[in-house]
Amino acid sequence: MRARSEEVARLLPAPLRAAVLTVLLLVVLGPLAYMALASVSSDLAVARGALWPDGFHLDNYAKIWSTTNLGRGLVNSLLVAGAVAVVSAFVALLSAYVLVRYAFRGRIAVLRALLALQSIPGTLLLLPVFVLFASAATALGVTVIGTRWAVLITYLTFALPFSTWVMVTYLRELPPELDEAARVDGASPWRVLTRVIAPLSWPGLVVSGVFAFLLGWNDVLFASVLTNPDTRTAAVELQIFGASQEGGALPVYGQLMAAALVCAVPVVALYLVFQRYLVAGLTTGGVR
Amino acid sequence: MFLPGGVLTLLVIVVPLALALYISLLDLDQYSIREWVGAEFIGFENYVEAVRDSNLVHAIGLSVGYSALVTVGCLPIGLAAAVATQDRFKGRGLVRSVLLVPYVLPAFVVGSTWRIIFQPDGVANEVLGTSGLWLNGPRSFWALVIVQLWAGWPLVYLLAAAGLQSLDVTVHEAAALDGAGWWAKLRHVVLPQLRGPVSLALVISFLHNVNSFTLPFVLFGVPSPYDVEVLPVLTYVESFQNFEFGLSVAMAVVSLVLVAIPMAVYLRAVRLDTGRGQR
Repeated sequence: MRARSEEVARLLPAPLRAAVLTVLLLVVLGPLAYMALASVSSDLAVARGALWPDGFHLDNYAKIWSTTNLGRGLVNSLLVAGAVAVVSAFVALLSAYVLVRYAFRGRIAVLRALLALQSIPGTLLLLPVFVLFASAATALGVTVIGTRWAVLITYLTFALPFSTWVMVTYLRELPPELDEAARVDGASPWRVLTRVIAPLSWPGLVVSGVFAFLLGWNDVLFASVLTNPDTRTAAVELQIFGASQEGGALPVYGQLMAAALVCAVPVVALYLVFQRYLVAGLTTGGVR
Repeated sequence: MFLPGGVLTLLVIVVPLALALYISLLDLDQYSIREWVGAEFIGFENYVEAVRDSNLVHAIGLSVGYSALVTVGCLPIGLAAAVATQDRFKGRGLVRSVLLVPYVLPAFVVGSTWRIIFQPDGVANEVLGTSGLWLNGPRSFWALVIVQLWAGWPLVYLLAAAGLQSLDVTVHEAAALDGAGWWAKLRHVVLPQLRGPVSLALVISFLHNVNSFTLPFVLFGVPSPYDVEVLPVLTYVESFQNFEFGLSVAMAVVSLVLVAIPMAVYLRAVRLDTGRGQR
C-alpha cells in the first residue's frame, strides 16, 4: 500500500530528476569546492586564477593567525553572538508566553510589529544608534561605542523580533490545558513557564538561539562602526582582510580563502547539527 | 515578563527610528555631530538634496531592479529543486542538506569568496574564457545578480518544499485517476497549490535583497562602483565616508518607504493569531 501511494505521488520521471539535481548540485558545489581548493592553494595560484591547487598548502591555515587578527575576532564573535543567543532565547520565551497566553489590548499590533520590525533596514538605524550610544557616553560617563556591549545590545534587539516570533509559533501549539493543570496545582506563572513550558518548547528555544547567534556572527554593518580594533568581530576582520588585498603587494588570496572557510565552519556546523529544527524555524514566516 | 524585550526594542529600534526621522531634518555633518542636538533644523532640504544632487534615484532604481531580477530568477530554480527532492530516492537527505548550504553561509563569507572568484585574473574569467572586470564597470551589476541568486534561491526551495510536503495525497490520486502525465500534473495540479508559500518566499526574498548591505559591501568594497551602488551601500558611504549624516539618514528613510509595500503584502499573508480559540 505504502509503495503504491508513493508511486502515485511521484512528481518527476527519474532521469529528469537526476538531470535537475546534477545541475543544481554542480552550481551549489562548484563555488564551495573552489573555496576549499583555493584555501589550500598558494596565494599566487589563486591570484592567477588556477582551478587546481599547485600542491597542498595547508600552511595557509597556520599563517592566517599571524597575518590577521582573526583569532581575536573569532573570540569576540563567539562571546558576543553566544551571549546574544542565550539572552534572546530567554527573553523571547518570556515575551512569547505573554503574547500567546494573555489576552490584552494591542496584542495583534505587537505581533504585527514583530514581523514589521524585522524588515526595517539596518542602515536606517545605524546612525541613530551610533548617535544614541555616543550621547549616552557623554551623559552617563560610560563608554559604549567600541565595547562589546554596544554590538551585544544592538544584536540582541535585532534578534528579538524574530526570536519572539519563532517562540510564538511554537507556544501557540501547546495546549492551554497544560498551564491550567499546573496552575490548579498551585504553581506560580513563573514556575509554569520554567518548569512546564520551557522544557516542552526547547526546539523553539534552539531555533531562536541559533538564529540570534547567526545574526551576531554574520553582521558587518553595525560591527564595522560600533567596534574598535580590539573588539572587532570575525566578520569585520575578514572584510578588512579582504578589502586590503588590492593594490601593491601580492594579494594573499589563499590565506583569505582559508580565513573565510574558518569563519564559515561554525555556522555550517550549527546548521548541520540543528538542521531539522532550523528548517522548521525558517518556514515559520520570519523575514531572516 | 514582557518588560525586557519591550524595553530593548524601544531603546534600540523605536527610539532610533524616531531619532532617524528627526535627524533627517537636520543639517548634520562631521562638524555638528558632537553637538547634534544643536544642529540646524533645515526641514526637508536633505530630501530635496538627496533626490536632486545625489545618486539616490539611481540607487533606488538599481536596488529595485536587481532585487526584482534576483527574486524572479530564484523562482524556477527553487521550484525545480523542491520538486526534484520531493520523491524518495537514495541520498535525498544529503542532497537536501547540501542545497541549503549557500543560504546558510554568512554573507561576508559568500562576498569574500566571490570577490576572489571574480577578480580580474581570477577563476571566473579563467573558466568562462572571458577577460576583463567583473567587480567594476557594467558587468559588476551582473556579478551582484549572480552572487545574490546563488546565495538566495534556497529560500524559495525551502518554502516550496514545505508546501509540497503538506500536499494532500488525494491530490496525487485524483491526478493519477485522470491519467495526467507528470508535466500536466505538475503544471495544473501541484504548482497551483504552492502559490501561497512561494509568494511568501518571493516577498521575503525581495525584502532581503533590497535591504542587503553585507554582500555588496564585501563583494565590491567602498567606494562602491557606480553600477552596483545600491541603496544600503550608498546610505552607509554617505554617513561613514562622506560624513553627511543628515543626508544619509534622509536616504535611509526613503528606503523605508521602499520596503513598506512588500511589507504590507507580507503582513497580510502571515497567520497572526496566537492560539486556539483565543482572540
